[in-house]
Amino acid sequence: MALYDKRRRRNKIAMGLSLTATLFGLAWLVLILGVLLWEGFSGLSLAVFTQMTPPPGSAGGLLNPIMGSLIMTAIAVAIGTPLGILAGTYMAEYGRHDKLTEVVRFINDILLSAPSIVIGLFIYEVMVAQMGHFSGWAGAVALAVIVVPVVVRTTEDMLILVPDTLREAAASIGLPRSLMIRKIAYRAARAGMVTGVLLAVARVSGETAPLLFTALNNQFWSLNLNAPVASLPVVIYQFALSPYSDWQKLAWTGALIITLAVLALSIIARTLAAQGKSS
Amino acid sequence: MSAVEFTIPSVHNAPIDVSGLVEKVSVRDLDFFYGDHRALKTISVPLYRERVTAFIGPSGCGKSTLLRVLNRMYDLYPNQRAVGHVTLDDEDILSPSQDLNMLRAKVGMVFQKPTPFPMTIYENIAFGIRLYEKLPKAELDNRVHESLQRAALWDEVKDKLGASGLSLSGGQQQRLCIARTVAVKPEVILFDEPCSALDPISTAKIEELISELKDDYTIAIVTHNMQQAARVSDFTAFMYLGELVEFGDTSKIFTAPDDRRTQDYITGRFG
Amino acid sequence: MPSTRRRPVVDVALQGVAAEISERSDRADVIQRLRRGDVAFRWMTRLAAVLVLVILGGIIVALVRGSWPALRHFGLNFLVQESWNPVTNKFGALAPVYGTILTSLIAMLIAVPCGLLIAIFLTELCPMWLRRPIGVAIELLAGIPSIIYGIWGLFVLAPFLQQHVQPFIIDLFGNIPVLSDLFAGPPYGIGVLTAGLILAIMVLPFITSISRDVFDAVPPVLKEAAYGLGCTTWEVWRYVVLPFTRVGVIGGVMLGLGRALGETMAVTFVIGNAHRISPSLFAPGTTISATIANEFTEAVGDLYTSSLIALGLILFVITFIVLAAARLMLMRLNARVGR
Repeated sequence: MALYDKRRRRNKIAMGLSLTATLFGLAWLVLILGVLLWEGFSGLSLAVFTQMTPPPGSAGGLLNPIMGSLIMTAIAVAIGTPLGILAGTYMAEYGRHDKLTEVVRFINDILLSAPSIVIGLFIYEVMVAQMGHFSGWAGAVALAVIVVPVVVRTTEDMLILVPDTLREAAASIGLPRSLMIRKIAYRAARAGMVTGVLLAVARVSGETAPLLFTALNNQFWSLNLNAPVASLPVVIYQFALSPYSDWQKLAWTGALIITLAVLALSIIARTLAAQGKSS
Repeated sequence: MSAVEFTIPSVHNAPIDVSGLVEKVSVRDLDFFYGDHRALKTISVPLYRERVTAFIGPSGCGKSTLLRVLNRMYDLYPNQRAVGHVTLDDEDILSPSQDLNMLRAKVGMVFQKPTPFPMTIYENIAFGIRLYEKLPKAELDNRVHESLQRAALWDEVKDKLGASGLSLSGGQQQRLCIARTVAVKPEVILFDEPCSALDPISTAKIEELISELKDDYTIAIVTHNMQQAARVSDFTAFMYLGELVEFGDTSKIFTAPDDRRTQDYITGRFG
Repeated sequence: MPSTRRRPVVDVALQGVAAEISERSDRADVIQRLRRGDVAFRWMTRLAAVLVLVILGGIIVALVRGSWPALRHFGLNFLVQESWNPVTNKFGALAPVYGTILTSLIAMLIAVPCGLLIAIFLTELCPMWLRRPIGVAIELLAGIPSIIYGIWGLFVLAPFLQQHVQPFIIDLFGNIPVLSDLFAGPPYGIGVLTAGLILAIMVLPFITSISRDVFDAVPPVLKEAAYGLGCTTWEVWRYVVLPFTRVGVIGGVMLGLGRALGETMAVTFVIGNAHRISPSLFAPGTTISATIANEFTEAVGDLYTSSLIALGLILFVITFIVLAAARLMLMRLNARVGR
């Protein structure tokens, strides 16, 4: 019986540990989100969205970094999404089993998890150093490089799910391949592809490292993309590390804004994906 | 008495005298539910010690469900429950205080699909033994050898005990699973359609095995192959739509069943 | 043979084409035009696919070119030099590389067992109705941008460790030979251990969800066979589920490691930014990404900038190897499960 008791004890310990680990993990979530909501919420006001970043000691808001982030994200998505969709289309439609696709899939998955600061260095070398100055364009392109692998992956996955019978039906009336893809396959996979774009946007909204030495930062309101542009993550970085308490407060508020945006995007993406599955 | 329309090889011709037999497992008024759906309806059936009892019936009649109550396998799934009385040697196995691991040590199961563990052939057997006994290597080797012999597999694998269990053929894998079950010295062995995934030759080997095993174990076998039931079992239970329609010794069931439905099933009129 | 199958989607698609056909009476012309567009589209997609490879190639070329001056100047010595002095222009990668590896190691040591245990809970113990909510909670944790982990670490975790935990541990191990060096020194709050801790919390949801997915893929019959022998839940996991999913788990762990190695913002806030290797885990240090993030915009002089890019190259090579290995493992698992 001693052996049996030992086994039962070991099982109880293991199961107890697994429960503890789960509580441990959930505790961190509560702690982090709790503090974020607490600190960020108290600084939330209309001024945050209407005023610019202040010098230390004065009141202000986060208008220019929010604007900068929105603009650069929009450009990144505008550049990265079509490229990603086209690449994913090749991999799923034209070259599903060929060597190029295998290699691209492998490389794409690595780029998906590559350190984003390295992407920043890459764009620095290729754009900033060549142009001689930091710019919002460079920041947007750096973000685009992060968007592309996400969109490639989701596009390929979603297009592969489209049943071949649909493609055959199109071919049987003489519809050329590209038209079949554009009018039929895309439409069938639409929900999934939009989900992919939303996920890419969510991912990119929180990225700081690639912007640090491409778009740099800007205290003032500027829509000139040829010069440094403020972005929310970089401003948070700067303000949080400063010794000024009102800057730190703005940093928390900015963090809350980003987190809420990312969560909202994820929820929308998830609902779309669920709808797509049920239809 | 209507004639049966096909020949049944080697059926016991004399009815079995149950007065000398011990009921190893007693099922009384058993109901089983998948959620709200009642899959077993007031089942009462005995399993006699050192005999083989077969459960036959059309798909969905509940025979596998019944088998899985006997080792509380359904416990793994939250919306399945059993209500009633099932006793093993007079111990109620449905009671919440029943130790499940101990129960499963006494009641072994062989599944429809061969399920060797991702380990070597030797380890597949040794693993089970080690759960319950601390043995020196020499003795462990003996036990593994014994179990493999019991399962009529020893000669085929004795030179490759270190190979993966998955490297064997389907029939061999199933015999490995039988060896594994036998190694932990259960008292009852449940076979859930053990040959349905196998070729005829492996099937014949396993049927032979079951006939030998019954000398030491109480055996219940679910099968949709009536000839198999007739060849291998001492008692047969016919089930239909969750009910136990008829139970009796195999020769009677297959030659002169009492119930019309049993008759129809045996003669192939449905199912 | 005329098509007898008509699907609504196809009908809608044909509207545009039909209009074009009725406009041009010459059908051959239409087909010519469509065919050209067809070929153009095909080439565009192919080009886009190749672009992915070009990006990778571009990254490698840019990094090598940018780091060339430093690599040529210092040679392989760059990897083993600890000193990092902008004034004398002497740069060595040892401290950042050490910090990167150490913080990632600490993170994995915490996150892997925790992640596996949580995955076990989710697949074996957790009641059905609780599984989705907890799953969502884990994805929430995974979705929080890393900069939030950074500022949370700086303003919440570090002061807490500094005031309550570190002094306690320093006293506790004060006289024990090896441990007193490992946990020595003034309680800064920030430091290598804190950074490792933050990384662990970041990587945890990742490992949990990958593990949970592979555990779920084990055929139920296999688990039932083990339960049927009388195995306890722990034994079923340890001797059947884990061996079956081993390759997938390792792949997931390596993906998590790849992420941890490259993480910047979560670490920069709490690592202390000291180009030093100390024996104590409570001491400040630096990682490759933290160094680049902190110093790049202030770097004056080609050698300084080039050294930083060289650090980036080293980081890229390390993460590339880890991620490539992870991918290969996961590919092998997919091939196996398909059997």
